Amino acid sequence: MTFPDLTHFELEAVLTILGMAAVTYSMRLGGLIMADRLPQTGRWAHVLERLPGAVLISVWVPSALSAGPIGIAGAATTVITMIISRNLFAAMIAGMVLVAVGRYFIGN
Amino acid sequence: MSRPEPAPNRHFDTDAIRRGAIACLPLLPSTMIFGAVLGVLATQRGLSLGELLFMSLTVFAGSAQFVSVDLWRETIPVATIIIATAVINLRYVLIGASLRPVFRGRPLWVKICGMHMVADENWAVTMTQKNLANPGFLLGGGIFLGIVWAIGNTAGYLLGGGIPDPNVYALDFAFTAVFAALTVGTWKGKIDLLPWTAAAIGSLIGHYTLPGTWSILAGAGAGVIVAALTWRKDIDGPSPKGEIAPDGFSATEGNYSTEAGK
Repeated sequence: MTFPDLTHFELEAVLTILGMAAVTYSMRLGGLIMADRLPQTGRWAHVLERLPGAVLISVWVPSALSAGPIGIAGAATTVITMIISRNLFAAMIAGMVLVAVGRYFIGN
Repeated sequence: MSRPEPAPNRHFDTDAIRRGAIACLPLLPSTMIFGAVLGVLATQRGLSLGELLFMSLTVFAGSAQFVSVDLWRETIPVATIIIATAVINLRYVLIGASLRPVFRGRPLWVKICGMHMVADENWAVTMTQKNLANPGFLLGGGIFLGIVWAIGNTAGYLLGGGIPDPNVYALDFAFTAVFAALTVGTWKGKIDLLPWTAAAIGSLIGHYTLPGTWSILAGAGAGVIVAALTWRKDIDGPSPKGEIAPDGFSATEGNYSTEAGK
């Protein structure tokens, strides 16, 4: 079995993808290089330490709320399970099962 | 163990890469299915499989790829796609900045090599580790997710439909769940409460008033501002020094770490 599709590359497509890759990678590396220039202690270090939590919350809180009551219940279940078990897999399964069951019986 | 233990500060040691990959295992089903959904979308938009895989391994950012492939046409709207990618991926500036402790004391080439395979998921998993200063762990998760993502793409592309609807098994909720769960691991104490509340409120306001993924930047921005405002000299914890970050300031966190088994 061959995939002729695999070797088909159009110049314009490749250049577009390279452009996407360049902007994405430069933001990844640029953020790190910028942070390296910030002081290691004091206000900036404190802010940088709060950053992961703030980004994570901003990623999932809006999607949980826009998924309706089932989404909110699922997110709460996930967080509580994580606090108790400290196990990522268990926390994910608990939240997902609740959402799947909720959708099945109640609908979206 | 027949071979000698690697030095603890090897830049990308195989053991850390392996542990990073294993830590991302819970993300396999959702990453695979969404990779397949993207593969199906690519067949409808006229990308070749080679182009799609090239994109998945060079851009390696799910949400930006979905939007870009969706915008893809016979005559490619190059500028629109690149600008959309830049806007959606602006959060990587913040993600990159927060990875400072992971690359602390490492040479520039390690940062250059280590920062490519950084997706939201392996970043989040890495940030909840007890011993942060491990670029190999981050890279391991990235390589694992990249392979799964590419396999999903290929499967979706070749099947061209007939893949399970992610919503039925709540696989769409998997991403919400993983980020919610990992948030717990980044809790450092009540000093986080105000910035986190600000982030939640900011992201919600952003979600209902701004397009696309600007809500992430709105929330993170609100969190950063509140964190900067609530800082006082006397709350400074032990500052991380040296090559490897000390575990002291996160002693109660990161039980999820696979470090414990060593």
